[in-house]
Amino acid sequence: MSEHKPTKNVETRPPKACGWMAEFTNEHDLLEAAKKVRDAGYTKTDAFTPFPVHGIDHALGIKPTILPFIVLCAGLTGLCTALLMQWWMNGVDYRYIISGKPFTITPASIPVSFELTILFSAFTSVLGMLALNGLPKFSNPVFTNPKFDRATNDRFFLYVDAADKYYNRDSVRELLGSVHPTSLDEVIEDSSPSHLPRPIWLGALLLVLAGLIPAAIVLNMRASFSDLPRWHVFFDMDFQPKKKPQQTTTIFADGRIMRPQVPGTIAKGQLEEQDPFYLGHDPLKMSLADYRRAVFVSATDQDPSGDAKPADPKPADPKPADPKPADDAKPAEQSPAPVASAPATPPAAVPPVGDGGQAPKYAWLEKLPIEVTDEHMNLGKVKYETYCAACHGYSGFGDGLVAKRALSLLQDTWTPPTSLHADRVQKQPVGQIFHTISKGQGKMASYASSLSPKERWAVVLYVKALQRSRNANIDDVPVEQRSSLTTAAAPSGAESK
Amino acid sequence: MSLKYDPESIQLPEGWRKLTPILVALGVILVAAGFAFSLFAGGGSENASEASMKFFAHSYLANFMFVMSIALGALFFILVQFVARAGWSTSIRRIAELLMQTIPFLAVVFAPVIIMLFANMDSLYEWNRPDKIHSSVIKAKIDVGYLTKEWFTARAVLYFALWSAIGWWFYKRSREQDESGDVGLSLARQKWAGPCIMIFALSVSFAAFDWVMSIDADWFSTIFGVYIFAAGMMAFFATMILISLSLQKAGKVRELITVEHFHDMGKFMFGFIMFWSYIAFSQLLLYWYGNIPEETNWYMVRLTDGWQYLSYGLIPLHFAIPFLGTISRHVRRHRAGLAFWAVWALVVHWLDMTFLVMPNAGPLSFVPMLGHFLGGFGMLLVFLAFFLAKASGTPLVPMRDPRLPEALTYANPIL
Repeated sequence: MSEHKPTKNVETRPPKACGWMAEFTNEHDLLEAAKKVRDAGYTKTDAFTPFPVHGIDHALGIKPTILPFIVLCAGLTGLCTALLMQWWMNGVDYRYIISGKPFTITPASIPVSFELTILFSAFTSVLGMLALNGLPKFSNPVFTNPKFDRATNDRFFLYVDAADKYYNRDSVRELLGSVHPTSLDEVIEDSSPSHLPRPIWLGALLLVLAGLIPAAIVLNMRASFSDLPRWHVFFDMDFQPKKKPQQTTTIFADGRIMRPQVPGTIAKGQLEEQDPFYLGHDPLKMSLADYRRAVFVSATDQDPSGDAKPADPKPADPKPADPKPADDAKPAEQSPAPVASAPATPPAAVPPVGDGGQAPKYAWLEKLPIEVTDEHMNLGKVKYETYCAACHGYSGFGDGLVAKRALSLLQDTWTPPTSLHADRVQKQPVGQIFHTISKGQGKMASYASSLSPKERWAVVLYVKALQRSRNANIDDVPVEQRSSLTTAAAPSGAESK
Repeated sequence: MSLKYDPESIQLPEGWRKLTPILVALGVILVAAGFAFSLFAGGGSENASEASMKFFAHSYLANFMFVMSIALGALFFILVQFVARAGWSTSIRRIAELLMQTIPFLAVVFAPVIIMLFANMDSLYEWNRPDKIHSSVIKAKIDVGYLTKEWFTARAVLYFALWSAIGWWFYKRSREQDESGDVGLSLARQKWAGPCIMIFALSVSFAAFDWVMSIDADWFSTIFGVYIFAAGMMAFFATMILISLSLQKAGKVRELITVEHFHDMGKFMFGFIMFWSYIAFSQLLLYWYGNIPEETNWYMVRLTDGWQYLSYGLIPLHFAIPFLGTISRHVRRHRAGLAFWAVWALVVHWLDMTFLVMPNAGPLSFVPMLGHFLGGFGMLLVFLAFFLAKASGTPLVPMRDPRLPEALTYANPIL
């Protein structure tokens, strides 16, 4: 940096003077000189020393910086950001119960608030320091003087900038000369080219271009097709040595990774489920009829007869083509598709019931355990339209959007949803429909985690109402209103309720 | 290098030297008055005397910890100055040394607690009456032999012996240097300060467990010693600031303790306000999050029966307000401002010790608490009397310490 080579193409005007620089051999002289310069009223001054000199700020008359105040503001901003963020995320936008703690601001919010306060403060300190110092700065006129190299070794320099309000070339020279510097030089402008050297530009450009490569690859992959397996950047995260639900294992004899409940035990929250309200059937009644089966059903929630079926699939589907297996509740379907049911699919208990002609396994509830009120009807409608209508359709004909889409894609593995207006479903007691919602049926999953028992019953109520409304005959209409129907052009199904 | 100075300017003011007996008498009277007030703690129930004894015992311990933690802060300050080979603090170091030298006296103040144990009383430590204990946790701690009066006493003696010995060893060398100016004395202290800090850390932690934590022997917090330490350091710097300011007001040590030293003590006080909050919050967060009955009960006691006002009050009083108050360098370089916040810190330190101990004595009630406050003030006067007794006739600045010039020319950088 010391050498400065004037470039040839610069016009030959005299280099501009930038100020005076005095050289000292020790910090005491420097401090004395700095005080003199300060007292003379100069403010655009600077000192360069090989080590930090105590008191130099005071001697130069440097005003305290406003950086601490800026950092305080940034810290408070960080604090408020953290509190707002946690209040919004945990308290408003995505409430998530964590061992029963309150949602909004809690002691657990403090560490995050603290960290964000520190983060904002730290970044502001560093960036603010750079900004207030005018950094990064690649050059300084003092570098033009070769003597200045010793500022990092054993010399102390005091510099008065020509930009100072009171600057006068001769008086500054006189003032600095009066403090006996080792040398006193006028600092002249650095006339070397001020733009960055080309290799640096080139290097920076290359870096930027290299930085675009990953983005370009991502874009390319998103816009094209490939038969190759995807890249696994984090292989051990993509393939973790663990089992997920529905997978197989060699550890257990039955090959299932999901373990059934140990017979004879009750899990937390299951005790109440011996109540017909939670089951849809009455285990007590069942036990009176067949004690052994009742014990087995209550312990495993499996039907012994149903369990036996998979081994011998044929009898299970007496009427294969038509999706009307014996025991199909409202939603669900899985019933044997035209394709011979694969042996792997244990057609979840397709035990003959009711119209199946054999003894009923469960003592189904025949009566709704909730009252038939507008409130429950509305609740059932809302829940039905949220959870059921996607497959079964808003009217229950099994023509939901998912089913339509699957049909249009000609998915041969697709099992169409059951129409809730099929005879078989219409005949089901309410308890059986409830049981289907709770436990799932065929491809239909259990909705017990999404719907509370009361909501499930409300859905049953709504399904029953749907069935009645879509399969009404003239007898359902009050006598005095039948005349209005006959006058109406098209007999659309009367909406009951 | 020898400095020219007026020997009288580094001595206690004339009037202060005679204050010791008066302060001790006043302090004892105030503590006794506090005892009288605590008689109201029973509220006229059939075991009123038991309740008031319980209140007074807790009050005595809280007020003892109030001053003890300051003395321990002084001891740590001395050790850490030598570990760090600090120069800036040389001119204020003697005051801290004198504060540290009160530890043997404070052992006498602690004696009533031991006497209560051997009188078979369980006013303070319920584990002292195993026949009355129902908690299996406390029983286990008694059965294993930890919480017994003999072993408790032995440990207390050990703590005081260690602290007094370390203090005496450092103080002796400091005083010898006043005569000889021998650099070797500084080097010896630098050499041993490190091991002494380890001893200090362990003994303070265990003393905090023994003396304060075991009043609720069901409960446990491994950070408890650090908590007491953090609180004590803050109070120690507040005490240093107030003593230095008072001395200068009386015309002493004027050139030796500069605004830079006050600035630094202010910084330390600010830092330990923050550190206390950090430790106190860390302890709270873990117990709040774990939410286990045996752990949260300690906070439960402190958040019911009127104590919630004190407990929640500590958040603004011990953290938010003094934090914002002392954050500015202008305040820390301003005598009146610094004095205000030092007094504030001492008051909230007393509230903090009250928070640690008093809720275990029963619900908050006004009149006995007034007695507790009088007792605290009396204890502070006794502590001050010990300090003055040690400081009488002793130079208040180690004038021949080789690092003194460094302290006198030391300046904070302008930020």
